[in-house]
Amino acid sequence: MSTQTISNSSTWKGGNSPFNVSYGKLMMWIFLLSDAFTFSSLLIGYGAIRYSFPSTPIEQIEELQLSFGENVQEKFAHGADAHHGEFFIPALKDAGVFTEFQWPSPDLVFNHFPFAHGLHLPLIFVSLMTLILILSSVTMVLGVEAGQRGDKDAVTKWMFWTIIGGFAFLSCQAWEWTNFITAGATPWANPYGPPTFAALFFLVTGFHGFHVFSGVVLNIVIFINNINGTYERRGHYEMVEKVGLYWHFVDLVWVFVFTFFYLI
Amino acid sequence: MSTPNKNIDIHDEKNYDPTVWVPKAHSHGTKDIWLKFWILLGLTIVDVAFYFLMAPSMARNIIFIALGVIKAVYIVGTFMHMKHEKLSLATMIVLPMFFIIFFLVWMMYEGNFWGTF
Repeated sequence: MSTQTISNSSTWKGGNSPFNVSYGKLMMWIFLLSDAFTFSSLLIGYGAIRYSFPSTPIEQIEELQLSFGENVQEKFAHGADAHHGEFFIPALKDAGVFTEFQWPSPDLVFNHFPFAHGLHLPLIFVSLMTLILILSSVTMVLGVEAGQRGDKDAVTKWMFWTIIGGFAFLSCQAWEWTNFITAGATPWANPYGPPTFAALFFLVTGFHGFHVFSGVVLNIVIFINNINGTYERRGHYEMVEKVGLYWHFVDLVWVFVFTFFYLI
Repeated sequence: MSTPNKNIDIHDEKNYDPTVWVPKAHSHGTKDIWLKFWILLGLTIVDVAFYFLMAPSMARNIIFIALGVIKAVYIVGTFMHMKHEKLSLATMIVLPMFFIIFFLVWMMYEGNFWGTF
């Protein structure tokens, strides 16, 4: 590759990096921009479809509470062996809360927490998942910072915790999916309401989960390369930074998946 | 990836070779990272508080999206080092996102008029 000496005044005339980033990092940013478009199209589609259905009327649940004389959500969640499919869903179907024509409130669907069987705990588990992913983003950025100082051992340590965080998140997602599937949900059927709800949930969280999985694989590659001293020999740890960008992007997408699927 | 030729200074701007050139890395310390972690955690708790304390409405949805955008600013700015990059690079990446957020809110509103399937 030929190299030439030029003055710094001609930023856009070639022979230098106008953005002052390496080729690989610039391409990573452009890839992330295009990936952001892909996720946006899924979330835009979700937003439009979700609001083409009326929401579960809150008043209906309050009426049920009056007639049963206690918190209906707790009553059904505690019932029998507390399996959603056996008591909770049929009861709310009979009461006209879960129908094919109204979008179920996510806190009636995703209200489980490990070791708290039969309790109504909406949003707690998914908040924990958010915490895990943000924490693993922090350990990743600490690894990048260690790389900038050229501290190989610290990079190894922080990459290790990032990989653990990634696996923890994937396990949580597997647990969340298992609960939803055992209640009878498939990409074309949903006991809680319109099948589209389940289809979009599996599509978008699945697409995100696959990104997390790819990120974990890339993190493991970086972890092994670093132990072998590849970056020490190369003279810089920019590879950690580039994979870090991807990992933070996955965290960023989760912020919006959390907002759209669980809050809105 | 090949190891760089030992005779080439991979950080030299005057001797630019796109296959190996990288700018010199600077650490910005860990204090800012931990500060942003606590802010992100706090914003997530604010999200959950809004969910339980405010009745569902379009206004609440816009609050959630706004909080998401604030979180995105901290993740992209600090964790992804965007605030230390050149303004031209940051503009190229961030500007399209404004159109997407506009489109998100717009289509959520439009969905109301699609009627039941």
